[in-house]
Amino acid sequence: MNYRTLTFDKLGETIYEYDHKTGLKVFLAKKAGYNKKTAMFGTNYGSMDSVFKVQGNDKEIHVPDGIAHFLEHKLFEQEDGNMLDKFTSLGASPNAFTSFSQTVYYFSCTDLFEDNFRMLLDYVQNPWLTDENVEKEKGIIGQEIRMYEDNADWRVFFNLLDCLYVNHPVKIEIAGTIESILKINKELLYDCYNTFYTPSNMAVVVVGDFEPESIFSIVDEMIQFKNTGKVEKKYPDEPKEINIEYKEQKLAVSMPLFNMGVKDIAKVSGFELLKRRIALGIALYHTLGRSSDLYSRLYDEGLINDSFHFDVSINKNYGYLAWGGQSPDPKKTADIISETIAEVKSKGIGQEAFDRIRKSQEGMFIRSLNSVDNIAREIMDSYFNDTNYFDVGKAYSQIDIDYTNSVFREVFENQTALAVINPL
Amino acid sequence: MGLHSGKTTAEKLAVKNGITFYRINSGKFKTSRADVFFVDNLSKERASGNAILPLMMKRGCESYPSVQALEGKLEELYGADINAGVTKKGELQFIGFHMSHISDRYTNGERLFDQCSDLLMCMLEKPLIEKDGFKESLFRQERDNMVDYIRSRVNDKLRFSLSRCIEEMCADEPYSIPEDGTEEDVLLLDPQNTLALYQQMIKTYPAYVYISGEVDDKSIQRFIDQFMATVDRGNIKKINPTNVNKDIKEVRKIDEQMDISQGKLCMGFRTFVEPTSEEYYPLVVYNGILGGDAHSKLFRNVREKASLAYYAQSVLEKYKGLMIIMSGIEAGNRGKAEDIILKQVEAMKKGDIAKKDIEATLKSLETGMKTMQDGQGAIVDFFMSQHLTESGEDFDSMIEKLKAVTLDDVVKVAQKVQLDTIYFLKPEGSRNEEETI
Repeated sequence: MNYRTLTFDKLGETIYEYDHKTGLKVFLAKKAGYNKKTAMFGTNYGSMDSVFKVQGNDKEIHVPDGIAHFLEHKLFEQEDGNMLDKFTSLGASPNAFTSFSQTVYYFSCTDLFEDNFRMLLDYVQNPWLTDENVEKEKGIIGQEIRMYEDNADWRVFFNLLDCLYVNHPVKIEIAGTIESILKINKELLYDCYNTFYTPSNMAVVVVGDFEPESIFSIVDEMIQFKNTGKVEKKYPDEPKEINIEYKEQKLAVSMPLFNMGVKDIAKVSGFELLKRRIALGIALYHTLGRSSDLYSRLYDEGLINDSFHFDVSINKNYGYLAWGGQSPDPKKTADIISETIAEVKSKGIGQEAFDRIRKSQEGMFIRSLNSVDNIAREIMDSYFNDTNYFDVGKAYSQIDIDYTNSVFREVFENQTALAVINPL
Repeated sequence: MGLHSGKTTAEKLAVKNGITFYRINSGKFKTSRADVFFVDNLSKERASGNAILPLMMKRGCESYPSVQALEGKLEELYGADINAGVTKKGELQFIGFHMSHISDRYTNGERLFDQCSDLLMCMLEKPLIEKDGFKESLFRQERDNMVDYIRSRVNDKLRFSLSRCIEEMCADEPYSIPEDGTEEDVLLLDPQNTLALYQQMIKTYPAYVYISGEVDDKSIQRFIDQFMATVDRGNIKKINPTNVNKDIKEVRKIDEQMDISQGKLCMGFRTFVEPTSEEYYPLVVYNGILGGDAHSKLFRNVREKASLAYYAQSVLEKYKGLMIIMSGIEAGNRGKAEDIILKQVEAMKKGDIAKKDIEATLKSLETGMKTMQDGQGAIVDFFMSQHLTESGEDFDSMIEKLKAVTLDDVVKVAQKVQLDTIYFLKPEGSRNEEETI
């Protein structure tokens, strides 16, 4: 059996990488001493894959918003019952998530891993959709959508994406809307499945205290994809300009809530993407983090509170930096933040702060290796972004202050946008 | 690697100056931590004050007199973290301080535990004070923030409906007091009375310390020797047990309106089971069968069969003996949802439980207990709970007790469970009349 072994002596971690003959990529991260074992089976297909060509057909189709997420719900249903039931009856905890660019099915367990793993590999390859079970799901997903409609943090974030992006489908609601899911039917779901659930567009990640052969041989036994077509993804070009500067919504909240952000339209992948993500993380932390002058100023003036947070999301097909929280005066807060960003752009980050924050961020990365779930998610995410998870350490050592300042300046050449939720 | 990956244990190291020190033995983590808990009886008089204390500690201390200085230092220590806040378990309030850092094997020889624990001790023992109170300007900010925070409970509709249900259900019991108190009580706080409360906390509240990760004996001893060494803790406060009994005269029904899309139904039950009684284990199994996982009666019937909800689950409050069933639904489906839920509760009483459901629940609980040992914070929380109830259980013995639960035990517990309060947070303007089947 041919597989690659990557060991990271300094971190005490080992990853095994296996190429199945169908083109399916398989990873095992060995985690000694942990009880928990987890396996993920994911496709590089999410809410933003809304326009595509179905295999064997030259015409592009435009599918209803929320269909990737709908399909995720439906895969759990099999002819002989609900998969959730089967996993729980073996003591496993099954779940799935749909993001902008991924749909991932997973379980975690402590015992009977092999039985559970076989079930995971089996059901994801075998959808069982009927008109009746598709209709039934609309009530459940409808309530999931309603739940998000009342979630101010979620709403303000999607309003920001709508401000930032003109064309890019990352702005589409992951679960869709009550109206869009009504248009979903069995045939459309199969079109999506047949297009995106192909081995070259998928990956399996296992984390636990296993020997590699034991895992990879189960993959060999269970993977029988009939459909081995190549997926061609195409996203519209996103202009430098933003869609709208400001968007406001009213909801039942106690005080205003804001999200502010900027998009990154650079097309990067592989090691460059890792470096860019880390450098932007350091720069944003330097500008907005709890040790920054800006944070102290905003906090002392009562313009932000403990809910203030920021996020760096740099991926192969989309990227943005976003930050926000509660504020009695989002516009004033946004103005002060914009001034500071302009200052950081012109002055750059100092060496002492750069070294300190880089050290701190690298420590956070090491800390994240405590979590089996986190490791599994990161490996999947890295693979779909054409990056290598354990290159993170190398990326930290290679970025310097000049690179960091230059990517920060580049991204903030783009205009920021502001979304606000006001109380009713 | 290959550090002991066997049994996860908490070893009592010392009881000194009214503080109990434990060491958690589990060597697989990349971080080391110290968790400090002060415990108080949950009371209207002190809940808000206790809750503002960790906020004041986080503002800095003598050696690092601002958030900026403190955070800068933590960054230098490889992104070490010191967090603090309050929680409640039953009718007790916990003020927790949590320090963690990456293990020394990843720091090129730099030793972090001593440095981080010095920082923790500075925050706890030398907060920013002027004259006879906390530093006024900082205090005002944190008091304002607390008021905003309490008001913002309404933002999370699920948690809001849950806490409103509990407030109504336990209206005349201490358990109704939210973990961080109420706005009116926050407004009674000033720098002076809060500093006096701080003195009470460090001098009289029972305290527990848990040290975990790769920390050498010398550093642990240094911590035990220095922690609160100058504080006179000769008179430790007595902690009251939580009362799980109450006479339910009739089921209370409370409807409230809000401008929201989805109605939130919360049904509060009393189980009359003490966390230390033998009935506690059957209760955990009962809750799992009724509304725990995807195999549970609520998930199957409310979600999968009737398509009424995305979530329908039951949760236990171990210390107060409460069980709350929650579901998010269309307002018009409220009657239908209540009926289905109550039918499931009834089925439990009748013992209408498939063998495979009890087996699935037991397996899932066992998995839960085992995976809890893969979280460094979760291990601390588990042992803290055991020490609090003086149960003496560890992970393995608890798994054994759960596995010993029989169908009869579950049905016996099911008989005790009584509905107390139905709370419904209703979308404004939704149809009042209910669909009838």
